[in-house]
Amino acid sequence: MSDHISAGHAPGRTFPRQDAPSKALGAEKYAVDHYGEGLLWAGVKRAGVPHAKLRSVRVEAARREPGVLAVLTAGDVPGPNRQGVVRDDQPVLVEDKIRHCGDGVALVVAESREALARGLAAISLDITELPGVFDPEEALAPGAPLLHEDHPGGNLLLEGRLQKGRGAAALADCPFVAEAVWELPRQEHAYLETENGWARLDESGAIQVIVSTQTPHRDRLEVARALALDPARIHLRAPYCGGAFGGKDGVTVQSLLVLAAMAFPGRPIKMWWSREESMIAGAKRHPARLHYRLGADREGRLKALAARLVYDTGPYDHLGGVVAALGLEHAGGPYRIPHVELLSQAVYTNNPIGGPFRGFGVPQALAGMELTMDLLAGKLGMDPLELRQRNLAGPADASPAGVKLAGVEGLRGCLDALAGHDLWRKRAAWQSQAGPHKRRAVGLSALLHAMGYGPVIPDEARARLVMLADGRFRVYSGVVDMGQGNASTFVQIAAEVLEQPAHCFELRQPDTDEVMSSGSSSASRTTYTYGNAILAAAQILRARILREAAAILGPRVKPGDLRLAPGEAVHPGLDAKVPLRQVAERLSVERREAEYHYVAPTTQEPKAPDQTLALHGFPHAVYSYAAHLAAVEVDELTGKVEVLGYVAVSDCGRVLNAQLLEQQMQGAIIQGLGYALFEDFAAPRGRSLTPDLATYIIPSSLDAPAMENIFLQSKDASSPLGMRGAGEIGINGPLPAIGNAVARACGIAPRRFPLTPERVLTALGQLGDRP
Amino acid sequence: MIRLTFSLNGRPVRLRTAADKRLVDLLRQDLGLTGTKEACGAGECGACTVLMDGEPRLSCLTLAAQAEGRELTTIEGLAPAGELHPVQRAFVERGAVQCGFCTPGMALSAAALLARNPSPSAQETRQALAGNLCRCTGYQKIVEAIQAAAAALEAEP
Amino acid sequence: MSRVALPRDLGELWQEMDRAPQAMLYAGGTDLLVRRRSRPQPESPLICLERVEELKRLELRGDQIYLGAGCTHSRLLASDLVRQRLPILARALAVLGSPLVRNMGTLGGNLATASPAGDTLPPLYALGAWVELASPCRVKRLPLCDFILGPGRTALRPGEIILGVAVPVPLQGARHHFEKVGQRAALAISIASLAALIETEASGLVRRAHLAWGSLGPRVVTCPAAEQALEGGGLNRESLSRAARLAREAVSPIDDQRASAAYRRRVAGNLLLRLADPA
Ligand SMILES: Cc1cc2nc3c(=O)[nH]c(=O)nc-3n(C[C@H](O)[C@H](O)[C@H](O)COP(=O)(O)OP(=O)(O)OC[C@H]3O[C@@H](n4cnc5c(N)ncnc54)[C@H](O)[C@@H]3O)c2cc1C
Ligand code: FES
Ligand code: FES
Repeated sequence: MSDHISAGHAPGRTFPRQDAPSKALGAEKYAVDHYGEGLLWAGVKRAGVPHAKLRSVRVEAARREPGVLAVLTAGDVPGPNRQGVVRDDQPVLVEDKIRHCGDGVALVVAESREALARGLAAISLDITELPGVFDPEEALAPGAPLLHEDHPGGNLLLEGRLQKGRGAAALADCPFVAEAVWELPRQEHAYLETENGWARLDESGAIQVIVSTQTPHRDRLEVARALALDPARIHLRAPYCGGAFGGKDGVTVQSLLVLAAMAFPGRPIKMWWSREESMIAGAKRHPARLHYRLGADREGRLKALAARLVYDTGPYDHLGGVVAALGLEHAGGPYRIPHVELLSQAVYTNNPIGGPFRGFGVPQALAGMELTMDLLAGKLGMDPLELRQRNLAGPADASPAGVKLAGVEGLRGCLDALAGHDLWRKRAAWQSQAGPHKRRAVGLSALLHAMGYGPVIPDEARARLVMLADGRFRVYSGVVDMGQGNASTFVQIAAEVLEQPAHCFELRQPDTDEVMSSGSSSASRTTYTYGNAILAAAQILRARILREAAAILGPRVKPGDLRLAPGEAVHPGLDAKVPLRQVAERLSVERREAEYHYVAPTTQEPKAPDQTLALHGFPHAVYSYAAHLAAVEVDELTGKVEVLGYVAVSDCGRVLNAQLLEQQMQGAIIQGLGYALFEDFAAPRGRSLTPDLATYIIPSSLDAPAMENIFLQSKDASSPLGMRGAGEIGINGPLPAIGNAVARACGIAPRRFPLTPERVLTALGQLGDRP
Repeated sequence: MIRLTFSLNGRPVRLRTAADKRLVDLLRQDLGLTGTKEACGAGECGACTVLMDGEPRLSCLTLAAQAEGRELTTIEGLAPAGELHPVQRAFVERGAVQCGFCTPGMALSAAALLARNPSPSAQETRQALAGNLCRCTGYQKIVEAIQAAAAALEAEP
Repeated sequence: MSRVALPRDLGELWQEMDRAPQAMLYAGGTDLLVRRRSRPQPESPLICLERVEELKRLELRGDQIYLGAGCTHSRLLASDLVRQRLPILARALAVLGSPLVRNMGTLGGNLATASPAGDTLPPLYALGAWVELASPCRVKRLPLCDFILGPGRTALRPGEIILGVAVPVPLQGARHHFEKVGQRAALAISIASLAALIETEASGLVRRAHLAWGSLGPRVVTCPAAEQALEGGGLNRESLSRAARLAREAVSPIDDQRASAAYRRRVAGNLLLRLADPA
C-alpha cells in the first residue's frame, strides 16, 4: 500500500460527492435531458402477446398519420439484427417470432410525442399465437414449445452442477434435515430514469449517441454488430444515470435509436420509454424457485446440502447464464459443509426478460440458504446465530461451491458484532413489549458476495488522468456512475495521491471517444478495479510532477525531498515552493497525461467443472461479507409486516469514503426490504399484472426504517487500496433476515415472497391451510 | 394555442402554448428547465414536483393552462442563482444525493415542509416525503439532511 | 389539442358547460388526467374547477359541517374544523395517496370517481353525509349512499356538478376510528378499510355504531346487523367477534392482483377487532 494514502489522511473520511451540487440544483444533464432543435421522437411498437408467429406488421395506417415520418420494421434493419452479450439471441426488431409481450416489432419516428403515440396506436399485427411456456419446469419438460429452435440446450439456457463429497446421498445420514422450496418474485429495478437516449447522425457520418447506460463501450460494439456498422462511427456518451442497478447493463434503446438516427441524417432523435414501456420491455431480477435440503448432525454441524436453483430467464440471454453461475457459487453460503450437490439452471420462458439486477442471482441463492438455515435451527432447537457461527467456514476451508473464501474471518467478526448488539441481546424484552394484536421477532442472515467478472473475462480498467495547463487536473472516468458515486471516488483517490483539494479536479463522464473500455459499472467491481487503475495513474503523475519540480528548484534537489500541497510542490527543508502551474508549463502534453492499465486478480481455484461455467464467471477471488438483523412487527389482524429496526454489519475491506459506503448499504437494504415485502412483477402467462408504479410497489419513505450500518475493515492484500466490492452485498440480506423474523413471529415460515399481508395472514392460520 | 402569463422562479413569463400541454413538458422541453424530472407521468413518484404558489404539486398531472397567474418555482429557482438553498446544501453535505433523479422533487417537497413547519420530527419529515419515491438512498440520509437543514435555518437570524 | 377553461365562479362554469356540453370536468386532475394518459382523448375540451370560488367553502352551518367539493384533501386535513369535529375523516385523508396527491386531489373528485377504494367514502358514509348537487337551475341534496351507484357510477346527471358535502356533526365524545389496509404505508390503494363511528353512553356501553367498509364490494359496505351486535353492549372481544362474523357475511369482495377475496373477507371482520384496543 502506498504510504501517502494512509499518512495524514484519516481513512473513511467523507469526501464530497462531485455530482451532488449539480444534481441538487437540477443542473446536471442526464441522458434524458437532451432535446434540441428539430427534435424527432422515436418509439417502439410492442408485441403485446407472449409467444406468436409474426406474419406481418401493418404499417400503412401509421405512415398516414400526420407527423409520422417513418415506420421501420425488421426488414429495415441492416445487418444481423441480433443483440446480446453472451448469446446474441435478441432481435432489435422481431423478424418472425415474438417471444414475450415486450418484444419490439416496429420503430416509429415522428415529429412530436403526440404524433408518435398516434403512429404507434395505428400499427396492427398479423400474428398466429403459439403455445407458450411460462414456468421453467414446464419449459424443461420434454416436448415443450421452444423459445429458440437453434439453441442446442433447448429451453435450458445454462446449467451448472457441482458436487462435493458424497453429495445429496449424505443427507440420508443426517439426523436433522430441513427441506423447503422457496419461491422468489420477479423484481423490477424501478430506477426513476427510465431507459432513454438521444442520437444524431452527423454530416461526417459519425453517430452521436447519449444514452442512459452502464456499459457504453460494450453497447457500441453490440449496436455496431446488430446493425452492421463500423463501431468507430458510433460515438457514445454515458452521463450520470438516474439509477440503473443492473437494468442498464446491456442494450435497451441503443440500437433502435441508432437505426432511427440513420434514417434521418442531421436530426436529433429522442427515445424515452414511458414507465409502462420500461416495465414491459426492461429486464427484471430473475424469479427463482429454490429447492433446498440441508442436513446436520446432532451437534448442529452442517453435513450435507442439496440445492437446485431454477432461474426464470425469460426469452433472451440477458446475462441469465451469469446470474445462474453466480447463484451456484453462492448457493451454499459461507459455510463448511462436507457433502454438497448443487444444480443451478437458467431457463428460457415467454415471461418478461430476466437480467442483471444488483446482486446478480446471489440474493436468490442466499435467500434459499439462509431461510433454510433457520428452518434447520428450528429443527435442532438451536439459536440461529449460534448455528451460523458454529458452521462458518474458516480460512482453510472451501465454500460449499469449493471456492476459497478469502477473508471469511471478517464474517465471523460481523456475526460477533450482531451477537453483541442490543437489538439481538435484548430481543426477548423487546418482543414482549408488542402491543395488542401485534407480534414481534428478530431474524438474521449471513452473507457473502463475490466481486468482479470471474476467471475468464479480464476484469481490467484503463484509467486516464491529465494535468491541465493551469496546474489543475482532469479525471476521466472510465466506468459509468449510475448513482453510486464511483466517479467521485476516482477523484478522491487521485486527490489523495496528488494531495490536492477536490475543487482542483475536473471530472469527465465516460465517452467512447475519450477513454478506452474499462468494463461495466456492475459486479461490485467498479471502485475496486477502476480505483486501483486511477491510483496507479495518479502515482505516475505524482512522480513526474515531483521530478519536474525538483528540477526547477535546482540540481541538488531530489524529488524525494519534495512533497505536494494544494497548488504547489513544497521543499520543507529549503522552505521553497513551486506552483503546479509552473510544473505544468514545463511538462509536455504527453507527460502531463498518465494512463494505467490495471487487471484485477482472478482465481482458477477450483477449476470450474466446465469451460462454460468459467466463461460465465465461476469462480471469484475476492469476496465481501456481512451479517444483517431485522426486527419486525407482524399485525395479527391484517398480516401487515413492519420492519422496526435494522442492523447491518459489513466487511468490505477498507472504507475509502464512509458516506458513499453507507449510501450503498442503505439503498440496497431498502431495495431488499421491498423485495421481501412488496415487490412482485407478477406476469401470469407472460402478461403483466403490475404495469406501472401504482401496481408495482416500491418502498416509500414511510416504509423504510432507520437503519444502523456498521463497517468492519479487514485488510485485503489483493488490492492496493484495501477495499472490496460494496455495491451489491447489501441487497442479499433483507429478504432472508425479514423472512426469518416473520417466520419466527408466525411460528411457520411462509415459502413464497414477497410477504404480502395475505401470505402472512395465511401463515398465521387465518386463511385456510397453512403453507 | 393560448397565451399564458405566470411567474417562473421569480421572473414574469409570457408565452404561447397548447392549453392542454402537461406542465412538465412545458418546463422541460419548451423552457429547457430539465431539473424537473418525469419518472411515471401518473402521480406515483413525485419526480416532477414543482411549487405552485409555494405548494408542492405534480407537474405531470397539471396542464399548462393551470399555470395562468400563478407563481411557479422549479428546482432551478429554489435558491438565488449561484447559491444553494439550505435544503440543497444539506442534501449535498449529508449524502442525500445518489443518482439524483428524485432529488429536485425531494428538495422542493422538503423546502415546502420547512416553510410550513420549521422543525419537523423525523416522522413528520418522512410523512412529508411520502409522495416522492427514491430508489437509491433508502431515505435515511434524505431525512437526516432535511433535519440538518431545519437546524441550520433555525440558527439563521 | 384540447381547450382548457378555468372558470372562476359558478356563473362562468355554467357558461363554459353550456358552450361545450361534451367537455370533461376536472378539479385536481389526479383521477382524470391519469385516465386520460392511458386513453388519450385529444380533442375533447376540458373544464378545470380549481378556481371556482363557490366550491371552496369549508364551514360550520348549524349542526352540519359543509365541505365544498373543490376543497383539496390537504386543505381539509389542515382545517381545525375537520381535525377536531371529524377525526374519522381526517384519519382517512391522512392516508389518502401522498402529500402531493392530497395537495391536488379534491373531495368532489373522490366522490365523483366513486371508486370502491375511494378513501373519503367510508368515513362519510359512517357520518351520514349528504351530497349537494347543482345545475344552473337548481341545487339538490342526496344522501351519499344514494349518490354512489357502483364502481365509477354516481347519480350525477349531465350538466350537474357536485357542490359540496354536508356532514352532520357527530356527538362530542364519539369514538372515531379509521383503518386502511394497503400495500405500503403511503401511496397505497385500499385493499380493505373500515370507518367506525361509535357513540357511547356515559357507562361506556355503545349507544350507536356506524360502520362502513371500503374496497369490500362494488360500493361502500354497511352492515346494520353488525352495528346492532355492538349496540347496547361494550366493545369487547365477544361482541366484536360476533360483529366481525356478520360483517364477513355482508361483504362481497373481489379478487385482484392486490389481494384475494378471501383475504378481504377475513380482514373485513378482523378490522373490527381493533376496536377492543384502547383508542
Ligand atoms: C398517485 C395517486 C394516488 C392516489 N391515492 C388515492 C388513495 O389512496 N385513496 C383515494 O381515495 N384516492 C386516491 N387517488 C385518486 C384521487 O387522487 C382521488 O380520488 C381524488 O380525490 C380525486 O380528486 P381530483 O380533484 O383530483 O379529481 P379529478 O381527477 O379532477 O376528477 C375526477 C372525476 O371527478 C369529476 N369531478 C371532480 N370534481 C367534480 C365536481 N365538483 N363535480 C362533479 N364532478 C367532479 C371529474 O369530472 C372527473 O370525472 C390517487 C391518485 C393518484 C394519482
Ligand atoms: S412523473 Fe409526476 S409523479 Fe411521477
Ligand atoms: S437518489 Fe436516485 S432516486 Fe433518489
